[in-house]
Amino acid sequence: MSAHPLIMGHPTSSPEHARHALLYMWRIRKFEEAVEDLFGRGMMHGTMHLSIGQEASPTGMCMALTLQDQITSTHRGHGHCIAKGADLTRMIAELLGKEIGYCGGRGGSMHIADVETGNLGANGVVGGGIPIAAGAALASKMTKKGTVVVSFFGDGAMNEGAFHEAANLAAIWKLPLILFCENNKYGMSSSTEKAFAIDNLAERGKGYGIPAVNVDGNDVIDVYEQAEIAVKRAQAGEGPTLIIAETYRWKGHSRSDKNLYRTKEEIEEWRELDPIPKFTAKVIKSKLLSKEECEAIAQEATDAIIAAVNESVKAKPADPAGLLEAVFKKVSA
Amino acid sequence: MLTMAEAIREAMSIAFDERPEVFLLGEDVGIYGGAFGVSGDMYHRYGAERVLDTPIAELGIVGAAVGAALSGMRPIVEIQFSDFTAQAMDQIANQAAKIHFMLGGALHVPMVLRTPQGSGTGAAAQHSQNLEPWFASVPGLKVVVPSNPADAKGLLLSSIDDPNPVIFLEHKLLYKIPGREPVPEGSERIPLGVSKVVREGKDLTIVATGIMVNKAWEVCEKLSTEGISITLIDPRTISPLDMQPVYESVDKTGRLLVVQEGPAQAGFINEVIAQMAGSASFGSLIAPIKRLAGMNIPIPYAPQLEKAAVPQIEDIEIAAREIVKNWR
Amino acid sequence: MSFKYPVVMPKMSMTMETGELINFHVKVGDHVKSGDILFEVMTDKIDMEVDAPADGVIESLVAEPGAIIEIGKPVLIMLTETEVMAFDFGSEEGETSQVIEKKPVEPVEVTIAQPTPAIVLNEKVKAVPKARTEAMARGIDIRTIAPTGPDNTITMHDLGNARVDPVISARQKANRALVAKAIENSRSIAQASFSRKVNSEFDIAMLIKAWAKTLRSRPDLAIHTNIGVALIIESKYGSALPVFKDPDQLSHEDLTSLIARTSESAIDGKVPLAMLTGATTTIFDLRAYSMNSATPLLFPNQITSLTIGDIGNLEKNISLTIDLNFCDFYDGAMLLDALIASLTK
Repeated sequence: MSAHPLIMGHPTSSPEHARHALLYMWRIRKFEEAVEDLFGRGMMHGTMHLSIGQEASPTGMCMALTLQDQITSTHRGHGHCIAKGADLTRMIAELLGKEIGYCGGRGGSMHIADVETGNLGANGVVGGGIPIAAGAALASKMTKKGTVVVSFFGDGAMNEGAFHEAANLAAIWKLPLILFCENNKYGMSSSTEKAFAIDNLAERGKGYGIPAVNVDGNDVIDVYEQAEIAVKRAQAGEGPTLIIAETYRWKGHSRSDKNLYRTKEEIEEWRELDPIPKFTAKVIKSKLLSKEECEAIAQEATDAIIAAVNESVKAKPADPAGLLEAVFKKVSA
Repeated sequence: MLTMAEAIREAMSIAFDERPEVFLLGEDVGIYGGAFGVSGDMYHRYGAERVLDTPIAELGIVGAAVGAALSGMRPIVEIQFSDFTAQAMDQIANQAAKIHFMLGGALHVPMVLRTPQGSGTGAAAQHSQNLEPWFASVPGLKVVVPSNPADAKGLLLSSIDDPNPVIFLEHKLLYKIPGREPVPEGSERIPLGVSKVVREGKDLTIVATGIMVNKAWEVCEKLSTEGISITLIDPRTISPLDMQPVYESVDKTGRLLVVQEGPAQAGFINEVIAQMAGSASFGSLIAPIKRLAGMNIPIPYAPQLEKAAVPQIEDIEIAAREIVKNWR
Repeated sequence: MSFKYPVVMPKMSMTMETGELINFHVKVGDHVKSGDILFEVMTDKIDMEVDAPADGVIESLVAEPGAIIEIGKPVLIMLTETEVMAFDFGSEEGETSQVIEKKPVEPVEVTIAQPTPAIVLNEKVKAVPKARTEAMARGIDIRTIAPTGPDNTITMHDLGNARVDPVISARQKANRALVAKAIENSRSIAQASFSRKVNSEFDIAMLIKAWAKTLRSRPDLAIHTNIGVALIIESKYGSALPVFKDPDQLSHEDLTSLIARTSESAIDGKVPLAMLTGATTTIFDLRAYSMNSATPLLFPNQITSLTIGDIGNLEKNISLTIDLNFCDFYDGAMLLDALIASLTK
C-alpha cells in the first residue's frame, strides 16, 4: 500500500498543483465526514477529533515539504497524516481496529504514524510531539541530512511547558524546525482570549528569538507561501520559524463536545470562510481548472474515501494474541 | 581499579567510537564534565557535536532525545538527579515507552536515559529518591540498576545496543569508588534481563538491588565465618526481571530475604515477593519471606536521620540471623 | 436532489448506546442548508443538536418525539444535492467490537475430610509452606503437630519431631465410639436376619447395583424416597461409610471406578461431603477379612443392612437384617430372594 504521490510547489503555479491542493483538501474533508458518520453509527471505538474546516493548513504546509521531511502531529491529526500522503485504507482500518491499520489496531486515531511519508506520529498528549519534532530536527542537523521537521500543534499547546522547552532548544541550536500552530481559537473549551494575555500569538516568537508570522489558515495559498519561506530558512541553517495559522473548527473538540463555549453565530461566521469553496472559486476564476474539473476532483476524493472504507470494513480485526511481544522491539542477536 | 563513574565513561566512549549515531546530551555534561564527573573529558575528546550541553529543560531534552531516536540516532540523555525525571515524565512514560507498541511497531526509540539515584549525600528529600518502581511499572521501558563498576560498563553497552528505551539508574554513592572486581578491558556486553548469582550458599537467599547488593555482601562475608552460608542474587535488570536463579536458590535454601533502598510501599522489590508467592517454589519456603526496605518517608536531611531511613548493613545482618535461627 | 440520506441517531459519547429524540426543528418539505439544526436529542441528561450534513430537503420524519432510538438508526430522511458520506453496513458487517473469548474458569474439585465427631482439633494451623506439603506427603495431619516457631507457626523442625500416632488413635477412638453407639441403637430395634448361599461370580459393584435395584422394586418397604447404599470401608481412622446414591442408575463401569476412587480416598480418611449423607442401607463386605459371615447391623435411619462373606469354593454367604417395624419376615425373605436372583442372572 504505497503513499499517494505528492506534489511540491505553489498551489496556483500550474493546473497540476491546483488539482493537488484541491484534491487533498477534499480528501481530508471527505475523510473526516466519513469518520463522523462511521463514529455516529457506533462503528468506531473511543472518540474522534475532527478537523473539518481546517483543511487548508496541512495541505498548504505539506506542499512545501518533500517525502523525507518529517512531521509530528496532534490528537486532531487526520488532516496532517493525509496531507503528508498517508494511505486512506490503512487510516480507516486503524480507526476500525483492524489488523491492516497503521498501528495494527493498537494505537487508534491519536497515534497514527507513517514512516514512509515521514510522519513521526500523531500524539494524544497536548504538546507531546513538539520536543520530539525538535529532536528529529536535531538529528537532521547532526547528520547533515538537509531535511526539515514540521511540528503541528494547536493554540492550546502553546501554553504547555513542552512548547516552551522545545522552542528554546530549537532557537539556541538553530534547528531546522517549523513550529506550525493551527490557531483554531479554542483549546477544548478555553478560548484564546481567556488562555493568553496577548492578542497575537505570533508575539511569543520574539521571546525565544524565533521569527514568527501570522497566516490565514483557511487560505491554502497564504499558508503555502509562508511555509515555503520557513522551509528555505530551515534549510539554510537559519533555524526555526513560528507560523500562527488562523483557522476554525466547525465541529466540537471531540464527539462528546456540546459546543457550550461558543455561539452559533460564531460557528456560522466561520462556515462562510470554508477554505475549499474559497480556493475552488479562485482557481476557476484564474482558469487553472474548470468548474467541471473541480466537481470531478471532489467526486474523486469521495470515491477514494468510499473505497477505503469498504476495503477496511472487510478487513480482519486486530488479534489480541501477540500483544505482549509487541511492547519491545526485538533485540537482534 | 576503575570507579563506577570511570566505568560508565569508558562504556560511553566505546559506544561513541563504535557508532557515529551515539551522542550524549544533558545539563552540564559537556564543558563541566557532568555534575558527578561521569562524562569527564568526553567533551574535549568528542567535541560539542556529540556532547551537548543543554539548558535546564528536562522535558525538552528528553523529548528531543526521543525525536532524535526516532530519526536514527542513539541518544544518551543524562538527567542530573533521578528526582528530576518527574519533569520529563510525559516523554518518558507516555511517549518513549509507548511509541513502539502504539504505532504497531512502525517506529522504535533506541534511547538510554542515565540518571543518579539514592540517598546518603545529605542532599535531602528532593535530590535523594530511589524511583525504581516509577519506571519498572511502565510497560515499554527497560530498567537497569548496576551495583558495581564492572557490571555498569557491560550493562550500559548493552543498554545502548538495545533498540528500546532503557532507564539506567546509577547510585550517587557508588560513583567515586571502585568495586570488588576490576572492570574488564574491552567491549564485552552484559545482557539485559539476566540476574547474577553473586555468591552461593545453602542457608538463605538474599535478593538485593543497587547499593544494597554491596551492603548484603558484607553481611554474607561476616556470617560465612560463623557457618551461615548465603546465596546473594543481584537482578541487575529490574525490568524485565529474571526470577529463575531466585527460584532455584529458594528451592535449595527455603529462606528468602529481599532488600531494597527505596520505600517499602509499592516498591520494586515487592515484585520479587509477588512472583515468588505465586510460583512453584513457594512450597519450598520454610520461613516467611522477609523484606527490608526504606522507611515510608521522604529522605530526611540530618545524617543520623538519613541513615535511619534506609536499610544499613546492621539491619541486614540482624534480619539474616533471625530468619536462619527462628525458622529451622 | 438525487441523493436520499437518512440522518441517524449519532453516537455522541464513548458509552452512549441510545438517545431520546426530543423534538424536530424542521418539518417535511422544509429546505435546509448544511449546518441547520434538524432535531434535538438527549443523552445522559444533556441536550445535543444534530445538524444537516449538506443542503437539501426534508423528505420524511421516521421517528416520533419522545422515542428512544439506538445509535445508528434513522431519525429522518432528507434528499440532498451532493453525496453525503454515509455508510450503512447493518450490524453484522460493520461490527468492529470483538468478543474476546475468555477461557472458562475450571471448577476446582475439593475433597473434604470426613468430619470427626468427638475430638475437636485445631482447624486453623499456621505452618511454613514446605511443612504443609511434606506433612501431606508423609500422611501426617498437620493439625496434630505442636508449633514452636514464631507466632505459633509450625516449622520444619517441628514436623521432623512429629510422632504420627497420638491424634490418629484419638480419631480411631472417636470413630469406634460412634460405631458402638450405632450398634447399641440397633440392638433395641426389633429385627430379623436371614442368609443365603450364592454360587455365582459378582463383584462389589454388581452387588451394590443389584441390591439398589432390588430395593427400588419394593417402594412399599422404603422409608426414604431415594436410595443410597453405604459401603463400610476401613480407613486408618476407623470405619468410613461413603454413600453411593442411586447406584443402580450408574453403569457397571462407572460405579466400579467410583467405588475404587472413593475407597482410595476413604482409606486416607477423606470422603467427599456429598457422600457422607443419604444412606438408606448399608453393605459390609467381609471378604477382605476372610470371614464367612457376620450378622448385619442396622444403622440409624436404615431398615435394611447386608453383609457378604466368603465360604470357599467360590461360594459366598449373603446375610440380610431387616427392621421388623417396617418389614415382615416374608418381605425380608423376598428381598433376599430377589437379590440372589438378580445376581445369578
